[in-house]
Amino acid sequence: MTAYRDGSAGAFDSLYARHKGPLFRYVLRGIKGQNRAVAEELYQEIWIRVIEARKRYSPTGRFTTWLYTIAHNRLVDHWRHKELVEVPPPGEEPPAGLDADPARQAEAREMLERFARALADLPRAQREAFLLHEEAGLAALDIAAITLSEPEAVKSRLRYAFAKLKEAAENG
Amino acid sequence: MAEQDDEREVSRVYRQLPREEPPPEIDAAIRAEARSAVETHPAPLVVPTGRRQWYFPVAAAAVIILSVAVTWHVEQEQPDPVVAAPAKVPPAPAPYAAKESPAAPAPQASRPQLSRERTARDEAPREAKPAEPVAQSGARANALAKLDSPERELQRIAELRAQGKHEEADKALAEFRKRYPDYVIPPPMLDQVEKK
Repeated sequence: MTAYRDGSAGAFDSLYARHKGPLFRYVLRGIKGQNRAVAEELYQEIWIRVIEARKRYSPTGRFTTWLYTIAHNRLVDHWRHKELVEVPPPGEEPPAGLDADPARQAEAREMLERFARALADLPRAQREAFLLHEEAGLAALDIAAITLSEPEAVKSRLRYAFAKLKEAAENG
Repeated sequence: MAEQDDEREVSRVYRQLPREEPPPEIDAAIRAEARSAVETHPAPLVVPTGRRQWYFPVAAAAVIILSVAVTWHVEQEQPDPVVAAPAKVPPAPAPYAAKESPAAPAPQASRPQLSRERTARDEAPREAKPAEPVAQSGARANALAKLDSPERELQRIAELRAQGKHEEADKALAEFRKRYPDYVIPPPMLDQVEKK
């Protein structure tokens, strides 16, 4: 990011390639209903903010933390200004390469759908903490810094999120 | 330990969910935006948008300061009372003008002209009047300048009265009293200027 801030356009490409997938999924799964069009719009806006804020970037912390702070702030704006209707997450995309047995494939698909539904049903703070942990690879301390929360509160959110998701994965 | 195993298992399941990615057109748009942001340099002769935030307030402040300075300067230049006073009264009667010398020295002529300009600025209706020719205004200014002494004017009225030109004397006296409403005519002079 420092290189990009100083004028290297190529530095942005490698930065973008590294973070685009996790950030997109954080946004897509962070908004209720997983509205892809809304997610794409938010995702673009987040990167535009990153580009505009490049001159204010100082390498005192990790770029990932800085990026997800911008993303979190944009999602907070979204949550504040729009009440989205909660709908079940789409299950039309089956996971690939699980098992050759059709019965086990169906069972695995069913489990993943339950898991995705449980993820979408998590309270917003728990879901966001989980996504930041899984997609951005952030520890509780970083998540606390991004979401302006106490580290202990973040740890508690993560514990609850993991417990509910484990239950969804195990119980049919 | 068991908790960490559970977390690893949940993470493993999570990774089996579809790995959604942004569409390629969005990738391209973002990359293009990033490139243009670092490649765009403002042209040197174009005022950048950000700088306009102070450009206009400073320009407005300069205009206000200039306006106040000019107004103050104009107000400080008070009209010469000797010259300005006649400018506000009707033109002197013809006999006065006829009696005085037709030409006036240049310095004296220029001052009434300035006074007229000031009067024209102060009184809107007069702005529409065309400027008088320089020679005419010079003669008139000379005549007006000669009327600067109440005593001399009274003396002229007394002369008119003595010559039997009572109508002219009455008019001149009325003008005098308009011009000098506070002037107390001494009794000996009053005998000479008033109609008996």
